[in-house]
Amino acid sequence: MIKEKVKTGVPGLDQMLDGGLLQGRTYIVSGTSGSGKTTLAMQFLLEGAKNGERVLYMAIDEPPNEVKSNLKSFGWDVSRIQVFDATPDVMSYDKTPVRDVSTERKVVYFQSVGENIRKTSERSPVDMTVNTIQEILKQEMKVSRYTRIVVDSLTSMRYFYIKTSEENAILMSFLRLLSDIGVTCIVTVQLPEISKPDVEAHVARGEIRLHKWFDGRGLMRGVTIEKYRGSAHDYELRQLRIGPQGITVKIPSRQTGGEEQSAVAGSALQAQAPQDETPPPPDDLPPATDSAAKNPSDSGSQTPSTPEPPPPTDGGQGI
Amino acid sequence: MSDDYGPRVSTGVQGLDEMLKGGLIRGRPYVVSGTTGSGKTTLAIQYLHNGVKGGERSLLVAIDEPPVEIRENMRALGWDIGKIRILDAHPAAKAYTKRVSMVEVAAQRSVAPLREAGPSEKTEQLKKAAPEISIQSLQLMLRQELQETRYARLVIDSLTSLKKLSEMMEDYNSSIMSLLRFLSEANVTTLILTDLPDPTILEPEIFLCRGEIRLHKRMVGNRLDRWVTVEKFRGSAHDIMPRTMTITEKGITVDHKRKIPKASLKVLQAFTQFSR
Repeated sequence: MIKEKVKTGVPGLDQMLDGGLLQGRTYIVSGTSGSGKTTLAMQFLLEGAKNGERVLYMAIDEPPNEVKSNLKSFGWDVSRIQVFDATPDVMSYDKTPVRDVSTERKVVYFQSVGENIRKTSERSPVDMTVNTIQEILKQEMKVSRYTRIVVDSLTSMRYFYIKTSEENAILMSFLRLLSDIGVTCIVTVQLPEISKPDVEAHVARGEIRLHKWFDGRGLMRGVTIEKYRGSAHDYELRQLRIGPQGITVKIPSRQTGGEEQSAVAGSALQAQAPQDETPPPPDDLPPATDSAAKNPSDSGSQTPSTPEPPPPTDGGQGI
Repeated sequence: MSDDYGPRVSTGVQGLDEMLKGGLIRGRPYVVSGTTGSGKTTLAIQYLHNGVKGGERSLLVAIDEPPVEIRENMRALGWDIGKIRILDAHPAAKAYTKRVSMVEVAAQRSVAPLREAGPSEKTEQLKKAAPEISIQSLQLMLRQELQETRYARLVIDSLTSLKKLSEMMEDYNSSIMSLLRFLSEANVTTLILTDLPDPTILEPEIFLCRGEIRLHKRMVGNRLDRWVTVEKFRGSAHDIMPRTMTITEKGITVDHKRKIPKASLKVLQAFTQFSR
């Protein structure tokens, strides 16, 4: 270990990362929708808050009130996480002068996030750009010494806050700013069902990818470390579970951390998927699999009808 | 059923409500996706019908089909859908004459109960000013409408058509974002109907919506099989298995207890990719 590692707060994932993330660097957590990116990111922030660190959540996709209520079922105390509502306003389409967002919104504790969505002001919708978000981050860093920041998500930033053809350059500069401020950051990236690598993946110091697939018995979840600069890490696809206490990653008891015979996650999947124990991994949705398992008329289809796992598709050559 | 989110909003299809552990979460926007003929409009009308039955104001934004056709199609199901309000956003035939200045559709169209839906307005009358439909103008229309009437349920049929009609493609992501945000702020539970998303493209409505219900239709052997999946449902447990769906003269039913047949499952699996 060159530098002190920062724990992600996800049991098992820190083992995959040989102790955790490198302090002061920016990492990507990518996955399709519903793969657990926001949950993982919140666990990362909670881990910091638990140790008395100052942590910041920048909400761009989902309004903070919904993030808060969606996380209620985990019973986490998110009150000490600070949050900045960077979700875009409704566009007014008439010619009201737009005000700069930094004068309008501020960072608050999750504690004071209300039940309802923030209403766009009738008279003064605010315009937000990557630039304003950068300014807010710089200001905030002067006021509070944050040690962990989550930006959720970079994809929304790309879609809604960048209107020029220079989106890659702007995103790179944003990621550069995050490394300059020396805070350990997690940036979430939303992937389509079949994806190609994007610029973010090249720039970040590491990428944790969350997977979700359907194998005939139910929903399977997994995690891979796609890239991790400057540290040893696990090359295997590991089974991930979202349970009532949040995300846990299952690491087989025998030490496999140094194993390298299957660096490609696709082949790891082939090795793993068929031998996963039955019944299917209890997910956040146990009643569904329960009712399926209890139905005797379908007993034949409980074992996967096809022994082969879904084909691994590298680099987006799909279907 | 009720939890942290208060009472859930029924979809009008009992089996689907079971899959959603009670129903949709009030005030959030959802996507219903599927190929043509997969049952999206039927599900949507069933959802609105369920609303008006419970005394909730329900609005259908009709873009794909003229309201009169929707009414005739649904009459076959024997539902009293007269109380569903409808916003006719079906495009008028283009005039192709000298291009007169375009008029905001908001100034031209208004909401009427579905029972009053007559034949499509003759484009003739509108020749002087054929209104343009876009995501932007729809948001403006809905803003007017929602100021006057507090709707609990809304359906946009369909976003796919709206996108194709929308002329301002360059700012299209932001327009979708804005429309969905607007609907959340208005606290109306919305179903947005779309074609099946291209799996290689991340459509903004797919990642912005709080849930996606996908309707599948495929020939398996010599039989047409239908099933439904809940692809995403933020903030709630949900059924992760595909379930058999049927469309009968009484509308859509979903058997949430029965797994789909093995042969169909195989077809489905071939289309479900490991997300790399």
